[in-house]
Formats: sequence, C-alpha cells, structure tokens
Amino acid sequence: MTDKDPSLQIPFRLSRRQLVSGMASLGAIAGIPVRLAYAQKRIPIPEGDFVPLPIAIPNFVAGTPSDGEVGAGVTQVITNNLKRSGLFAPIDQAAYLEKVVNIDVVPQFNNWKSINAQALVTGRMTRQADGRLKAEFRLWDIATGQPLAGQQYFTQPENWRRIAHIISDQIYERLTGEKAYFDSRVVFVDETGAKERRVKRLALMDQDGANVRYLTRGSDLVLTPRFSPSTQEITYMEFGQGDPRVNLLNIETGQREIVGNFPGMTFSPRFSPDGQRVIMSLQQGGNSNLFVMDLRSKSTTRLTDTPAIDTSPSYAPDGARICFESDRGGKPQIYVMPATGGQAQRISFGEGTYSTPVWSPRGDYIAFTKQGGGQFSIGIIKPDGSGERILTSGFHNEGPTFAPNGRVLMFFRDPGGSGGPSLFTVDISGRFEQRVATPGFASDPAWSPLLS
Amino acid sequence: MKVKVNKTLAASIVLHVLVFGWALISFPTRALPVLEEETVAVDVISADQLSHVMAGTKTGDKKNPKPVVEKVADAKPVDDAVGKITEKAPVVTDTSPPPQPKPVEKPVEKKPDPPKPVAEAKPKEEPKPVEKKPETTDPIAEALKKEEKKPPPKPQVEAAKPPPQPPKPKERTFDQTKIAALLDKRDPSRQAVTGDTINSNAALGTSKGSAADNSATWGAMFQRQVERCWKKPFGGIESQNQEAAFTIRLKRDGTLEAAPIPEGTPATPYLRVYSESALRAIIECQPYNLPAAYFDEWKFFTPVFTERKS
Repeated sequence: MTDKDPSLQIPFRLSRRQLVSGMASLGAIAGIPVRLAYAQKRIPIPEGDFVPLPIAIPNFVAGTPSDGEVGAGVTQVITNNLKRSGLFAPIDQAAYLEKVVNIDVVPQFNNWKSINAQALVTGRMTRQADGRLKAEFRLWDIATGQPLAGQQYFTQPENWRRIAHIISDQIYERLTGEKAYFDSRVVFVDETGAKERRVKRLALMDQDGANVRYLTRGSDLVLTPRFSPSTQEITYMEFGQGDPRVNLLNIETGQREIVGNFPGMTFSPRFSPDGQRVIMSLQQGGNSNLFVMDLRSKSTTRLTDTPAIDTSPSYAPDGARICFESDRGGKPQIYVMPATGGQAQRISFGEGTYSTPVWSPRGDYIAFTKQGGGQFSIGIIKPDGSGERILTSGFHNEGPTFAPNGRVLMFFRDPGGSGGPSLFTVDISGRFEQRVATPGFASDPAWSPLLS
Repeated sequence: MKVKVNKTLAASIVLHVLVFGWALISFPTRALPVLEEETVAVDVISADQLSHVMAGTKTGDKKNPKPVVEKVADAKPVDDAVGKITEKAPVVTDTSPPPQPKPVEKPVEKKPDPPKPVAEAKPKEEPKPVEKKPETTDPIAEALKKEEKKPPPKPQVEAAKPPPQPPKPKERTFDQTKIAALLDKRDPSRQAVTGDTINSNAALGTSKGSAADNSATWGAMFQRQVERCWKKPFGGIESQNQEAAFTIRLKRDGTLEAAPIPEGTPATPYLRVYSESALRAIIECQPYNLPAAYFDEWKFFTPVFTERKS
C-alpha cells in the first residue's frame, strides 16, 4: 500500500494510481542506456613479435622461350639471399595458387593473401636482339595492393647473378628500411690439404658463396686479406722468402706489389676509408707499432710508439679515428685513437682478452674477438666502450668482418680436431647464425663494399 | 472495502505489468551476455571489470588448437542446416556459395530441372512406388543420396556460412553452448581459403559496463587481435622509440570503414617500413571482434604501434 507523503502540498490532485505509474515510468526512463560522446581513444599496441616477412617469389617469367633457365636461376638467387638474411620467409612455390605469366598486370591479390604472403615479387628476363639481357621486377604489397618498387636492368648475359643480387638489394631495402648487402664479395683464405701441411690460397667469392676464384697459387702462406673500400684492390700478408710482407693486389688487373719496404715484419694491413692509405703494424725488436703508409707518395707515418704490441688496426668509416689492439695495459685490449696519432683510449674492460677489432661501416659498433674462460667469442661494442654484446661463443670463433650495411658479421670458426675452419655469418643482434658454404676449409674473411 | 481492495490490487497489477513490460522492452535491446575467454589472456584490469568483461571468441587464431571444438560446434548447427537444405545440397556445392541463403536459393531455381523435380519427385515417389519412371529416378535418387553423402563435408562448411542467418533467430535464447557453437563455426569459414570477409555476428558484449571508460577492455581485445597479425620488421638492437599511429574507423561488424590514416610521415626508411607493417596488420586482422556495447568508443580511435617501453 503506497501511501503518499501527507505533507505533500500539491495544488493538483494526484491519484495513487497516477503517482504509482509515474514512478514506474521514471524507473523505465532511468533504465534507458545513456549514450555519451567519447573522445578518440589512443590504444597502445606494444607487443609485436618480429617474424620473418612472408614473401612470395614466383619464377621470373621468360621473355623469350630460351630465357626460362636464367629466370629460374635469378629467382633462386633472390630467394636464397632473402632467406639467408633471416628477415624474410620465402613461401614454397608449390603452395602458390596461380602462375604468373604477365608481370605488367596487377596481380590477383586474393590468391596471394590466401597463402599468407605479405609481399610479392614478379619479374621477367628477356634476351634482347643485341645480345644483352633485360631484367625487370616488381614488388607488390599484398595487404594494400600497392606497388612498392619496380626496376629494369640491362646487362651482359653472364652477369645474371649480379642482377639477381641487385634486385635482392632493392627488395631488402624497400621492405626492411635498411641498406642492403647482397651485391658484394668476400675475400678469404682458402685452406686445403692435411692439417699439418695446409695449402692456403687467397680466394674471392660472391657473398652467397658462388663464383669462387683463387687469387694466389698457394706456394706462399697468405694471411689477413682485406678489401679496399673504394677500389678493386686487396691488401694481405704474405710469408715469402724473407719476412712476412704486406702486399697489394689489384683484382681486375692481377697486378701485385709490395707495400713499403720495411725492416722487420709487417702485419694486419687495412685500407683507410678513402682507399689511399694502408695502416699496418710493424714489428721491430720485441714490440710492434702502428704505421700508416700513403699509397701514392709511399711516405709512412708512425702512429704509436710504445713498448707494447700494438696491432690489428681498423679505421672508422669517417677516417677520423682508428681502433686497434694493444697489450700496453697488460693483456690485449681495444683502444681508440685519432687517426693521426695521439692519446689512445681504452674501451674494453670485460673479463678476458680482446683482439681483432674492426669498425662497422655504419660507424656505430666495433666488432672484436674475445678470449676468456676457455671460450672464443665474437662480440660488438660501441666506440665509447658501452653496450658490449657477445654474439656467439664457442670453442673457437675469430676474425669478424662487417657486411657493407653494418648489420651482418662474417667470421670463421674452427671446430678443432681433424676438421678445419669454416665461415659463418651472424646478425648483429646475435640471430640468424649460419654457415657459408666454401669449396674447402676457409678462414680470415673480409667483406667488400657494395659493388654497385 | 471492496473498492479499496480493488484499488490496491489494481495498483499492484499495474506495477507488475509496468515492470515486466519494461523488462520485456529493454532486455532485448541489450547485447547477449558474457562468454568465457578460452585462451589465457593476461590483461591488467580491475576485478570488477573482470566480472563484466565479455570476451569475443577467438577469431581464427591459427596457433590455437581449435579443431576439436570446431568439430563439436559444426555438428550442432549443421544438423539444422542440412535438415533444411538437404534437397538442395548438391546444388549448393555446384554454385560458389555466397554467404546469404537467398542467392543460394535462386540458382537452385535456375539449375537444370533434373535435380529439382527429382528432389521433389523423390518424396512423391516414395509413397507411390508405381510410377512411370521408377527405373530412371531410382538411379538418380541414388545418385542424389550419394551426392548428399559425398559433399557433406563441403556443404557443412558452406552451409556453415549461410546459416548464420537462419539459425540466428532460432537461437536467440540464453543457451550459451549454442552461442559458443555459433561463434566457433565462424572459424572454419575464416580459415577457409577465400579472403572474403564474412558477416560477423553482432559482437557479444556485456550489458553493464561499470567502468566509465571501457577502453581497457575493448582496447585490450583490439590489441590482442591486431598483434596476432603484426609482423614487426626487424630493427635489430637499435630500434627503440619507434612509433606509428593510425586513425581508424570501424564499422559495427568490425571491418574497416576506410583506409587507416597514418599520423605524420615517417622520417627514416626504417620508420616507413615500421609504419607499413602496422598498416598491414590493421588491414589483415579485420574484422575485429569487439563488444557492441562500446561501439561508440571503438568506432573511431587511434591504435599506436610502439616500441617505447614505458
């Protein structure tokens, strides 16, 4: 019995029923959901996993019937390059839903979406009337349906591998935002024969292991080959009749010369970034110091003058500083010094000995070999000494060299026992470590700059 | 006295009618109630939000061991559908099935006569075995039966697509298992080869959200769903402080209304690639299963893909 408030002095008469129904309607009104106007919300998406980008690379179309083989070859080289970089996951061709026959039309994106490809590469190889080979490619973004890149190249037919590397570089750069490194070569010491009597020859190959050719005959021991950053020249150490000497070899002409005529042994030569000078360590008496020689004027400059062993120098990419290995503090450590000489600053302070420092072409890291605790490791460190990071560790790892984009390192590893050393690559984050196939055993790699 | 009793009785009746009437009117406008999340989702939300959290079911997460549930789910509604469309099943497989049942019925009529009149003739002939063409129809009927058996796996999936419409009004009860089955059934069609987006259900949502701003719930759902698709580019060890933000508009079914609009232009090639990867993720992961109750919040918002850990 709902009796209303008797003190309610209202001018109009409100029957019980009216009041009750009024209250019920109020309740009903209160139940209606209220719509508020909302401001645009920012939702953070912090967790994404790095996953290799799934990419579809169907065989390059043959422009003329005889181009099928070179098309398939180019596709294979591109697929291998992208896969070995660790940043891409090429999808098996057997899973493709359509065969690309014409690269000039927009693809049916649904067919590629359904196999979960995020990017698509199409291409065509056409032998021209004048004997040249024309290579074209297109890169598509599947989700948005946009073309991302496209180019055409003309070259001699025997250079088809280089075209494939150049196209791989374009794809890599567009899809990762990083500079690429596929169109480059590696010089290394090829080792064959029994362990006691190894024959060591200088060898040159494409970064993917193809096109191996030998630069020396193996009669003399060769060590530490290094590329010039701007010319087609290699500098290396050769143990000839007398003392070990630093040599210069022009790849294209085959011309050889000895760098300087020093009394004593010269070691670990490296080019300056402009290719005009070679820095090396010269042993005199019980210690060794750093010297720079100008290749044109043949004048030499002494950089260090300590009773310690200073060796293994490497220029920064701007040529203003060098890093090198020195045991002036007791054990071999890494030091950084102005390129013209002066005060050297130690940057490595971890447990163990540090050797073979090499400055990244991007200038942001110095890679080194570290020995300690019975292990050999390859690591990187910032030029100011911070951010030391070990990339791989094991029984033996030595001699890092940077790829032209400063992202990938190559080094060599000797498993010990009756086997021999092999070349390996690893990303500077420590991921994607894999072996590089060489005809025999291999050591002491050095990466060339980009050829194009 | 009599009048008094009548009045109170009347008032009581009126009140009851009003309350029930209000309930009848207002309840159906609210979305269907809570379902339990199946995966282990780690979200930092308050306890009472947790009690109100609705969860969309997984929408086709490949890593999820879904098949068991799918099979169970498929069994239920497919029974209904097959029961409805048996006679047309062989015809359905012939046409490429659009998700609505209506266009399916049209090609049925257009299809050559032998299947249809035979289908119709089949039940007619059963009571009347003495007919002019028993010899011809029998093998056809057998063929029909064979066809029905042969593509049942197919029309199950394809019939799974049309029946979102018919079974839905049927299953408007509070039977949660059936709702789960209905939702789970979307998964096989999602995982199916075509890239068409299907009609998503009106998303499930709670009727009551006690939080003033529900972005913690639907934001977390959106984040989980888009992260599944996001293939972040490899920035190595230097990629800190990258950020890519987009303004997106979603429709009620969770699909994009228009292309996402990026905020700002990327300054470096790597940032451009980062931004593109986020854009791909947003496009690929639609339709998003977000609670319909908060549609006004998530129909227009800005997901920010970020490396900044703060």
